Amino acid sequence: MINKSQAIQILNAGLKTGADYAEIFIEDKLSRVIVIENGKVDTSTVARTCGAGIRLLNKLNSVYGFTNEVNVKSLTRLITSLADAFKDKQVLSIDELKTKKVRDKHAPEIPFSEVNDEEIITYLKEGEEVARNYDKRIIRTGAQLAINETKTTLISTKGFILKDEKTHARAALSCVAAENGKIETGFEGPGASAGFEFFKNTVDFKALGERVAKAALLMLEAKECPSGKMPVIIGNGFGGVLFHEACGHPLEASSVSKNLSVFANKIGQQIASPLVSAIDDGTIKNGWGSNNIDDEGNPTQKTVLIENGILKNYLIDDFNGRRMGLKGNGACRRQSYKYEPTSRMSNTFICNGNSTPEEIIKATKLGLYAKSLGGGSVNPVTGEFNFACSEAYMVRDGKVCEPVRGASVIGTGQEILMNIDMVGNDLERAQGMCGAASGSIPVDVGQPTIRLSSITVGGNGGELK
Amino acid sequence: MKLNEKKFFELAKESNFEAADIFFHKGASLSLSVFHGELNSLTQNSGYIITARGVVNGKFGSVTTEVIDKNTPEFLIESIKRTAKVIENDDPSIIFKGSEKYHKKSTFNKDVLTNDVKGKTDLLLDIEKKLLAYDKRIAEVVSVAYEESYSEEKLSNSYGLKLAQKQADYSFVAEVTAKQGEEVRTGFKVFASLDPNEFDEDKFVKEVAEDALSKLGSTQCKSKKYPVILNPETASTLLKFLLQSMDAEDIQKHSSFLEGKLNQQIVSKKLTIVEDPLRKSILFKYFDDEGVATNKKFLIKKGVLSTYLYTLQSAKKDGVEPTGNGYRGGSKASAGTALVVVKPGRTSEQNMISSINEGIYLNDLQGLHAGMNAQSGNFSLQAAGFMIRNGKLAEPLSLITVADNLLEMFNKVKTVGNNSEFVLRTGFDCPSILISKMAISGK
Repeated sequence: MINKSQAIQILNAGLKTGADYAEIFIEDKLSRVIVIENGKVDTSTVARTCGAGIRLLNKLNSVYGFTNEVNVKSLTRLITSLADAFKDKQVLSIDELKTKKVRDKHAPEIPFSEVNDEEIITYLKEGEEVARNYDKRIIRTGAQLAINETKTTLISTKGFILKDEKTHARAALSCVAAENGKIETGFEGPGASAGFEFFKNTVDFKALGERVAKAALLMLEAKECPSGKMPVIIGNGFGGVLFHEACGHPLEASSVSKNLSVFANKIGQQIASPLVSAIDDGTIKNGWGSNNIDDEGNPTQKTVLIENGILKNYLIDDFNGRRMGLKGNGACRRQSYKYEPTSRMSNTFICNGNSTPEEIIKATKLGLYAKSLGGGSVNPVTGEFNFACSEAYMVRDGKVCEPVRGASVIGTGQEILMNIDMVGNDLERAQGMCGAASGSIPVDVGQPTIRLSSITVGGNGGELK
Repeated sequence: MKLNEKKFFELAKESNFEAADIFFHKGASLSLSVFHGELNSLTQNSGYIITARGVVNGKFGSVTTEVIDKNTPEFLIESIKRTAKVIENDDPSIIFKGSEKYHKKSTFNKDVLTNDVKGKTDLLLDIEKKLLAYDKRIAEVVSVAYEESYSEEKLSNSYGLKLAQKQADYSFVAEVTAKQGEEVRTGFKVFASLDPNEFDEDKFVKEVAEDALSKLGSTQCKSKKYPVILNPETASTLLKFLLQSMDAEDIQKHSSFLEGKLNQQIVSKKLTIVEDPLRKSILFKYFDDEGVATNKKFLIKKGVLSTYLYTLQSAKKDGVEPTGNGYRGGSKASAGTALVVVKPGRTSEQNMISSINEGIYLNDLQGLHAGMNAQSGNFSLQAAGFMIRNGKLAEPLSLITVADNLLEMFNKVKTVGNNSEFVLRTGFDCPSILISKMAISGK
């Protein structure tokens, strides 16, 4: 570790060649995972992640480095080596840093240090057992809880040393169903920035086990999804991954600032149907994607991205903001000290509209109801994205009909947002992991049930009839 | 500070561990990128990770740490005890005594580690200039980056086994956009190598630029079944999923579609796939992460499934020798592969294209983490490429989906090409492959 005067000394060593900002991010994380498989504890691991990441900025250029050796000698050596990339006159020096402990708005009620392994195993086994015994076609089940307790210290030439703590944990239950050579899977992974109380008090793991088993069996019995262009109703909760891929990523300053996003230079313009409003909120209490402060020390905030179809704000970090003439708005995140931070999403969702999910189904003559999605990806430069449907049904004459499997949906973000023609009132959020330049980070996605008037669906089931 | 391994093994013995091992990974890298004529970002990283395991009462405990101080040996031992205590499965917990023979070789070339920030910056700036000058439709260079990295792996265990390997490699990555009217397309290429002299700047510039330019005028094709040529990247991407189903653990747990199919014809006779960890490549390994010696072996021979992929544990359960395919991920190793080589055929890609009246040439697949059902082999993925008409590449295609089943499609192999290339992303040396019919969805 390093003390305040050492921190000042290290920062000043990095400022000699003209950097206008320097930051040292120190992370010490303890992780624990327990994995149950087919009714027995299969593996258990403990991991300690520890290191420091140093960032120097000089106008529109950045240098970054990390090391596991968190001591004054190694950090001085690293920052000096990074500073070699700049060849300007010194513009900044630091004489004082204010130490502040950040208030933990998501502090755990039941910290995991007070929960022994046996209690966690009992909780997981209850749900895993329900899934395993649900039907003889369920041939493999697994459950796990992954716990992370992180302490960070952010030392910045903005004049502060911020000490923050975070607990976040995620449970998962998955199963494999098989019959006549067909194999399908079910999965749910609830998580939060919270302690064991989130699971013990709010996640009924037995009910979750039943849902996961049912989902796998349903897809086993499903026909292949037809392909072609059709109206698609996307279910609430994890259905929000559509918005995350199609719109969320292209709104990050990392691509907007370099004019490399389809939504660059479009503030104030209509980029979505007037039924669509969307928000990114890093302050939601115990939200899986929430943080007290972002990874450059700015407070997290609730940002309105789209209001009635009009683009209002981007997600901005200070560095990319320089190219835009804008300050960071609390969206700067990284996976760990090994990554240079940049603008990312936190908890991102489409807001409630005026229709009920029943009205949306009733209004659809022929199309697909993608009740649950499996994940996807996007090219923010062109806006092209894709996602897979993990639970889907055909809709005929306003009624939900036969389940279909193997469906995937593709399109461009720009078209899709304009094609949302009905928005439900049943908003829910779900957890996921988002991968991009600054690593894999926990995020919430979310939305109410929505309908896309027309999108390309891929599947093995022949033409749409 | 170095880890006191001697102390760790002493404490392990005192705590009555039946066996213990330490896997030490160290890495360092330098990467730079340019944007608009300037060095835009530079990163210099170095770090290490230690994974330690111990067998306590027949159960595996495991711990990972990035901290080496005087307390580390005790921390490792206590964590192993804690994690081993809760294990209930009765799978054999094996720490390897050692293989009889290791094909020890070094591919380490320190000349790759130039530390030459100025020289590489100048080269990247030159590439950026050349890309913009290549064609007036090249609108923007999204990124041009270079990375050189060093890695070192050491395995030591309580039986006295000591293995070590180091490697240095480098890569160039570039992404550009091409614009025509309102249409924007991206082109992307990665070049990676162990040999500092292998990089050809002009060839690289051409490939990146042409990748973007060739997509201008992209449209969707009609939804129907077509003969499809998969280029080396897309062919190896799909074959890699097929290989993942050869994981013996999944077979033993009844969640692989290759269960019961050992030594049976599972795909076309035209497919022969070999794992070759000892060939000089970025993926060179002479021992796997569990200390088992690696060897060249058939994975699929003329369409027949020749072996499953084993770790020490899954091999013991099947009563076979381990195959050197154990990769670390915590306490439990899982099966993986080093360099995979798909045996090329005799037909040139040009001749494959000429043989098709109406078909599709695929060179891009997206959304694999979501659209591929690894257990069943069913997939539905976003794709891009070209229409083939009357034996020639025609209009570019984008935003189409391709759907099929892995086993079924690789039974429909019409031709395996002779144009093998190394695909970094998949770790395959693979040619183009023509599949007689696949379902494509577009308009």
